[in-house]
Amino acid sequence: MNEKPLQVLLVEDNAGDARLLREMFSKERPDSFELTHLTRMSEAVIHLAHGGVDVVLLDMGLPDEHGLDTVRRSLAAAPGVPVIVLTGLEDELLAAQAMKEGAQDYLIKGQIENRALPRALRHAIERHRLQTEADLIRTHQLQFKDEFLSHVSHELRSPLTAIYQFVTILVDRLAGELNPEQHEYMEIILRNVKQLQSMINDLLEVTRVQAGKLAIELQCTSVADAIVYAVNTLAGAAAAKGITLSSEMVRPLPSICADPTRIRQVLIILIDNAIKFTPANGVVKVAARLTAEDPNFLVLEVSDSGCGISPEMTERIFERLFQVADPALAGRKGLGLGLYICKELVTRQGGQIRARSAPGAGAVFSVTFPVFSLASLIAPVLRTESRMESPVALVITQIGSQTGWLSDAENSHWIRALLQQCLHSDQGVLLPKMGSAGAAELFFILAGTDGIGAEAITRRIRKRLDGYESTEQAGLTVSTSYRSLKGIKRNASESMESFLEKAAATIQGLINEEISSRILANA
Amino acid sequence: MPNKKILIVDDDPDVRHGMQVRLKANHYDTFFAVDALSSMVEARKHEPDLIILDLGLPAGDGFIVMERFRIIPDLAVIPIIVVSARDARANKGRAIKAGAKAFLQKPVDTAELLAVIRQALGEPAPPEKHVVYDLGSE
Repeated sequence: MNEKPLQVLLVEDNAGDARLLREMFSKERPDSFELTHLTRMSEAVIHLAHGGVDVVLLDMGLPDEHGLDTVRRSLAAAPGVPVIVLTGLEDELLAAQAMKEGAQDYLIKGQIENRALPRALRHAIERHRLQTEADLIRTHQLQFKDEFLSHVSHELRSPLTAIYQFVTILVDRLAGELNPEQHEYMEIILRNVKQLQSMINDLLEVTRVQAGKLAIELQCTSVADAIVYAVNTLAGAAAAKGITLSSEMVRPLPSICADPTRIRQVLIILIDNAIKFTPANGVVKVAARLTAEDPNFLVLEVSDSGCGISPEMTERIFERLFQVADPALAGRKGLGLGLYICKELVTRQGGQIRARSAPGAGAVFSVTFPVFSLASLIAPVLRTESRMESPVALVITQIGSQTGWLSDAENSHWIRALLQQCLHSDQGVLLPKMGSAGAAELFFILAGTDGIGAEAITRRIRKRLDGYESTEQAGLTVSTSYRSLKGIKRNASESMESFLEKAAATIQGLINEEISSRILANA
Repeated sequence: MPNKKILIVDDDPDVRHGMQVRLKANHYDTFFAVDALSSMVEARKHEPDLIILDLGLPAGDGFIVMERFRIIPDLAVIPIIVVSARDARANKGRAIKAGAKAFLQKPVDTAELLAVIRQALGEPAPPEKHVVYDLGSE
């Protein structure tokens, strides 16, 4: 067998440790391994980005990086290359954590037995290959299921459409009078058509959840609007059962960071459920308030005076396909996917969902959503590249060819808010889309990063946005222009006010520059 | 005033029929097309004021229909409402981009469909029913 030598990247700053490892490699067949030795994380990242490395031997205490972040950065630079961490005897706990972060294995310095090194390397590569293969198969399977369900639900919707059309034609007396009994039966058909329709929608939604394709577009969202919408949507259903549906908002309510259509969806599922399980003349109430424990979260509560849930069931009801066991209570209600979807939607938006109840005493479903803060939005995007020396600013703004840019006044207002957040969080910010006219475009300004950092972040943001189906739907195009803002620094003597003023002016200047370069390019 | 004319492009005969009954009851004249090709022919023949377009059509889907209509000046001005069983999340944005006035998911709520048609035709909305919801006190 004539194999190519395995390309091993050793990242180790301790000369003694490196020499020992080199010696171990020198005992192997000369054409079996090729060793590249680097001493810094920054060098390793560049080397990995060029490709060609089969496995990384990584010391977790480097001059420019330490601990688990060494693993994170290696995997971020080359996700397909397995990492084996090198640790000291006292660091075994850390090594275990490194494996949770995605390292394939760990070797304890000074404890590497004769010939154990090549075996560990080959095992790591092989395990990694199997893992990748399994992931790929899983992805294919999910994709198939996704396509299948999407196809099936599409095909189911067509005949359902015809049924719905003609039933409503009859109900609306477009084909002549109905006697009361006929009308009642038609209403029953209609109710079931609607149930079938919502089941089809649930099916599609669950496919998306499992394929990780649930499109969520976080933005600054009004809770009051969502509550009004959901209550209006279900007012008819509540009235039909003689249930009083009301809402209660302790104002002023802060905006939350959520997808407005998703929060409406969550509320509709919860209110719809409450109506189902509440007998005639009962009460369903929607309330919103800030939590006492954590001012960063807003709580939405949907409470009912219905049959309640036994305490041991308050966890299980969020499981997929869970249905209430007592048919007298539940009747035929759906696929048992509503609360599961709800939970996914809420957790994906950074919130929590809980149920409190006692049998016969009604149920309270409470959902928390993070209060809107610019910094919290961008944090996940920056997770792996978060080791920035200076804050990172990300501006989303709107370029409508007809509508023009936002006015200077509006722009500087947003930019100031952005900078303020930026400085407080030390991480970065994301501005919500503004307005609705024209095509939205993303424009990034990355401060205090070198070229590589800025590019990596931009790529990452693009990738995230590409994953959102709704990006295209919203008519959003992503541009990868970025500018380094290394120049903006606050002098020790400078007041915060004056610094913000200066920084805002610089950013505004860069945006203007960007616009004129685009106009020139189009001319 | 003569009735406004609506061309219904859908390959499902029952859906076409149901749509026709509903639109006739609301004083619109309807015509049918069953695929991309006949949509063009029928649109030329009847000069409709509005087109209701399905996306899943045999031999060239609704997007192709919109693309073709857009390049022919006298057809390009006809407002199009897409009514499809395809998933809204994946198709709504694309349909609007392709020039549709609205995207409605099948089965379409009757009131919503009529409202969107009226809006696309620039017709006044009928007097609204007033519903009062209790939204709690400030």
